[in-house]
Amino acid sequence: MKLKTGSFLWYLYLDKVYCLLSVRNVKVLVEYFHLLDVHGKNTLNDVLFYHFLHHVTDLKKKQIKIVFDMLDWNAVGEIGFDQFYILVCILLAHQNHLEEQFLYRHSRPVFDLLDLDGEQRIGEATFQMYRFLFNIHKQELTELFHEFDITGDQLLNYKEFKLYTIFSMDKYQKRQQAERERENLQLKNQNKGKDKEKIELFFF
Amino acid sequence: MEENPSKVLPESSDHRGSGKVNPSNDIRDLWTTATLSESQLNLPLSEVCENFDEEGIYVDKTQWYRHNGSWEDDEEDEGNSYPEELDEQTLPEQEPHQGSSTEPHVAENGDDSKMKAEKPSSMTSVEGFMHSPHLAYWAEQQNRLPLPLRELMKNEALEILNKALRSYRSGIGREHFLTKELQRYIDGIKKRQDTGQNV
Repeated sequence: MKLKTGSFLWYLYLDKVYCLLSVRNVKVLVEYFHLLDVHGKNTLNDVLFYHFLHHVTDLKKKQIKIVFDMLDWNAVGEIGFDQFYILVCILLAHQNHLEEQFLYRHSRPVFDLLDLDGEQRIGEATFQMYRFLFNIHKQELTELFHEFDITGDQLLNYKEFKLYTIFSMDKYQKRQQAERERENLQLKNQNKGKDKEKIELFFF
Repeated sequence: MEENPSKVLPESSDHRGSGKVNPSNDIRDLWTTATLSESQLNLPLSEVCENFDEEGIYVDKTQWYRHNGSWEDDEEDEGNSYPEELDEQTLPEQEPHQGSSTEPHVAENGDDSKMKAEKPSSMTSVEGFMHSPHLAYWAEQQNRLPLPLRELMKNEALEILNKALRSYRSGIGREHFLTKELQRYIDGIKKRQDTGQNV
């Protein structure tokens, strides 16, 4: 899933720590939403929503449809600004490689979104259906259910889901740390190489 | 259990997409980073904090003015001719919105009162760039969506709505009231855009 380069949403900025938009960004997003609110109901129907998401991302029709079903939590056939806002945050988190951060910071709303039938539990099939939103690989998701399904009911309750987000965040930070150390090491090696060259030039 | 917020993600996460250098990054950085924080004044925190009483209300503005000669009082900003000039410059932008549906209009009226409240802090930062060559641009950055982004937003919305109109026509027919409503809406946006361009 990618945001179209140069689209309006592409220019919005997600706070890296809290994974939310600033007030000013929200203000312009409201303006954008109202531009698309053709019928003056403060909502987007499924047609408008489809064309919006199709225009700004590379999602397929089927994916857009299931995203709409997920956001239309009242089953009224329309989505309001609240749902639109959370979708934009998900898109931007994905675009900026902040998926783990986003899941960690907003585990409750994400859990509620994925809990399609309201049973306070998420099944593997449902999660697999929406894993593209959070850039989770199929194998990774299967392992997740094996490792974090503590109750053994093949479903994740909120605590198990939260544990997963904490673990995922921890893994992400360690990965970042390892990358930073690797970069520092490369930089040091480069500097050593340059120093060695200078010494050789000096003597010869 | 929350993570330590002081852990900042590496700068590489700032870059979108492939990470290639994009000429539009400059505009994006100006717009997006301007929204992150009001503290663009490069003033020491102690100097700002000493001007606020225990309730967080700003006091003794004249003292701040004396210490920083180029800055003006927050309250004086509203009466300053400079903001009026800015409002005049940006007025053509607002006019196209008057013909739109009531919801955005109401939102703008609500926003105006909010913007007045925001004005003091935003105008002080504008005053800081008083002698900058791109004064109007920075003022716009503080209070308005930058023009290029505004145009981009409208053009994108128009493209989306035109595609939606085709779907409406094929799905529910040209004569359906929703189709006609959408058609009128699109025509309204185009008309406002043309009016804006002609001014």
